Amino acid sequence: MRANVWSGRNTVQVENVPDPKVLNERDAIVKISSTAICGSDLHLYDGYIPTMKRGDILGHEFMGEVVETGRRVEKLTVGDRVVVPFPIACGNCWSCKHELYSLCENSNPNAGIAEKLFGHPTCGIFGYSHITGGYAGGQAEYARVPFADVGPFKIEDDLTDEQVLFLSDIFPTGYMGADFCDIKGGESIAVFGAGPVGQFAIASAVMLGAEQVIAIDQYDYRLAMARNKAGATDIVDFSKDADIVEQLKLLTGGRGPDAVIDAVGMEAAHGHGALHAADRVKQATRSETDRGHALRDAILACRPGGIVSIIGVYGGLMDKFPMGALMNKGLTIRTGQCHVHRYIKPLYERVRNGDIDPSFVVTHRLGLDLAPDAYETFKHKQDECVKVVLKP
Amino acid sequence: MSARTAITVNRDRDEVQRLWSEPGTRPDHIADLDATVTFKEAPGDRGTEIHVDLGPGGRLDAVTKRFTGADPLAKVKDDLRRFKQLVETGEISRSDSTPEGERAERKLGQRPAQPLDDSELQKAGVA
Repeated sequence: MRANVWSGRNTVQVENVPDPKVLNERDAIVKISSTAICGSDLHLYDGYIPTMKRGDILGHEFMGEVVETGRRVEKLTVGDRVVVPFPIACGNCWSCKHELYSLCENSNPNAGIAEKLFGHPTCGIFGYSHITGGYAGGQAEYARVPFADVGPFKIEDDLTDEQVLFLSDIFPTGYMGADFCDIKGGESIAVFGAGPVGQFAIASAVMLGAEQVIAIDQYDYRLAMARNKAGATDIVDFSKDADIVEQLKLLTGGRGPDAVIDAVGMEAAHGHGALHAADRVKQATRSETDRGHALRDAILACRPGGIVSIIGVYGGLMDKFPMGALMNKGLTIRTGQCHVHRYIKPLYERVRNGDIDPSFVVTHRLGLDLAPDAYETFKHKQDECVKVVLKP
Repeated sequence: MSARTAITVNRDRDEVQRLWSEPGTRPDHIADLDATVTFKEAPGDRGTEIHVDLGPGGRLDAVTKRFTGADPLAKVKDDLRRFKQLVETGEISRSDSTPEGERAERKLGQRPAQPLDDSELQKAGVA
């Protein structure tokens, strides 16, 4: 089959590789109809996530048709149309039983590697380095899906691929970011980053009843989407004024947002000159993996007693973390890779009943063979690119 | 000082102890060692803790063999994880990079995350 593989920093290529086979009795093979490039794929592309290997198939947002099932798969049959959550979860361990699917204790066969870096292993993830298991990803014609009765979600009506594809990751991830904020109605929520996950965090905060939702970014086309499509009430364009903390305080009468959502992660783009330069050097020399301006500003801006919700991806270590502000302001941090399985059904219902049409983020549609071009376009924010969907 | 490790399996103690010695789930590597294994009910209905103690010799062994990829404690941990996987999920978790399932020796020699061809599948014992 054809697959998009990582072949070193800033390089991907579409190659012929063997077709996947059922390796375990709870596996299914899915013929992929649509797959997407995630902002977090850029962290791999840029070489900031350790434990990548040449030849790794990328991609963790995909859907398609079940073409084969292992003997112990009971809920799926050949021909079913499914969306596949990016975390691989067994459904049996203590974490899965408590709906902490991205913390599945059994799905990562490289647990020993993960334990060295994080203290404990976390779940397996498709196409996301060897520390999350070394599973082939979904930017390919076919994918092997373990624990097929637990993850894949059947789509049984005529919604288009683009309306349901993002249930695999970015819609639930953005929603979890808003869910962490304990929105009861009337809150001010600031969302750092108006990329695809940020867009869904904004839309979700609005759906959950926040009164003021502030989008923060430096690209006007992303801020325009945040306001016009996702429903942000205010925007902060830090290309015009870099003092994000002060702007957020002004927008909230000096209080600061009740909760802040970091939808940026480890490669934050802005920051105060000297600090940004120091972070860049440390990251380039691999003595720091995570560049943290967005999170630092989020913590400084958040109102005392508020919530810091982190859904942007971090990989290792960060310098100059504002622990004093966090502690003295009594902030609560909530974070994690999304427990997609927990949210996929209720969010599917929201799509079905018309509360939201997730396809609003799609700006680019390309064949799988053009994946290398798509990565470059997306990375360099060319052509007002927000979200790329690839068709195998 | 001794080399010790522990894991918690989400099943009750009788079942865990029974499966510990049953063919199919028995952790062969640990069984072959002169290790002390104890089972203990985990607090709060979380299943059963399995504690493995390799004794005073185990620690020295672990240090000398760490660089050869055969650290006995790492292999014990592999065995415990595989036992937990088999008991909780009914199978050993396999990925494209680690088709045999968790193996300390694989840590440095990972396959790329792309499907195996037929000869590799046979070698990994999953064909």
